[in-house]
Amino acid sequence: MSSAHLKKPAAAPPGPGSQQQPPVPKKSMALKAQSKRTVTEEELMHKDSITPDDVLRLNRFTQEYLCGPEANLFNIDFTRFTIRDMETGMVLFEIAKPPPQDQDDPAAVELEPEITDPNAGRFVRYQFTPQFLKLKTVGATVEFTVGDRPVSRFRMIERHFFRDQLLKTFDFEFGFCIPNSRNTCEHIYEFPQLGQELVDEMTANPYETRSDSFYFVDDKLIMHNKADYAYTGGRN
Amino acid sequence: MVLLHILRKLRRQEHELRTLVLGLDNAGKTTLCKRLLGEPLNEIAATLGFNITTLEHRDYKINLWDVGGQTSLRSYWRNYFESTDAIVWVVDSADRRRLDDCAKELHDLLQDERLLGATLLVLANKQDLDGALGPDEIRDHLRLHSITTHHWRVFPCSAFTSDDSLLNAIDWMLDDVASRLLTLD
Repeated sequence: MSSAHLKKPAAAPPGPGSQQQPPVPKKSMALKAQSKRTVTEEELMHKDSITPDDVLRLNRFTQEYLCGPEANLFNIDFTRFTIRDMETGMVLFEIAKPPPQDQDDPAAVELEPEITDPNAGRFVRYQFTPQFLKLKTVGATVEFTVGDRPVSRFRMIERHFFRDQLLKTFDFEFGFCIPNSRNTCEHIYEFPQLGQELVDEMTANPYETRSDSFYFVDDKLIMHNKADYAYTGGRN
Repeated sequence: MVLLHILRKLRRQEHELRTLVLGLDNAGKTTLCKRLLGEPLNEIAATLGFNITTLEHRDYKINLWDVGGQTSLRSYWRNYFESTDAIVWVVDSADRRRLDDCAKELHDLLQDERLLGATLLVLANKQDLDGALGPDEIRDHLRLHSITTHHWRVFPCSAFTSDDSLLNAIDWMLDDVASRLLTLD
């Protein structure tokens, strides 16, 4: 199956970010990269292949996709995404790609009422409640399958913006993936509490919180997915 | 080698441990991880790849890499050896027929130099099953006394029915990894 037929794009992590970087291992790398010369999306569009360093130097969210669906030579396919509150263990959000036999059933796509625009293969719109921005620690689980080639150094870089402000960079290396494997990975996100002013702004301006998810194999961009977020759920 | 390890350690988050959870298929590796994380244990299917989870315990973040144990997957285990602090080797104590196989896979694994020094926690799992061998018998079958390259210890447990003794086992593993890193400092 071609990735162009993806009905569910990559899992995006929860929207709330922090003004401070969390103490993740690659934090210092990300900060260093930011202190380097920034790069524009237009400059990157002219490159043959895009590296992790390139996207870490972007200082705003992207307008376009930095690679086509055909760049996914490894047939990596995201099949499930779950968010749970680590304090209570409660699952807050779950979305799964329908099993293969259901994929032609359009009704099967809409598993979650919060999700809109299900046909845009690489984009997800999330609608959370304002309480979501108050969470302290969440666990985000992604499940993905890999095609019949081994994948080395699979790495994800995710950048969250509110308007043009970078909230958070998340950088994780899955490493090697076995051919024809199904894999899951849970990341623990710790959020320092956001300032009330920022929370209010993010809540009052739905879909102005955005994320870019970049996926690399051997430092070469192979997938680019996007999401945007509203924190107005439960109000209407 | 040692210096590299320390440097890697510094780059990673303090008190973050990379732990490989390995063993034959159906040993209960995924069940163990889910038990430790307090997740539901129903509907656990064979792992056909990896499951990465993080257990927060004491001051540590324990990254658990649970990699599938089917014969066809075992040759890929070595791809996950780099930077490993601890190995949790899970044994189905009631699967007597495959204990030789289990011992062979374990000893093959321990040959790899990238795992040198990693703490080895052997879990004699499925103690709730009739006919399960006790930890001493598992120790003998797996020839653990012949291991000189790794600190090891065996604990009995039943990941499916309770978390009794599991935390003791994890505590021992943490203490062993911590003492090794402190010694290097």
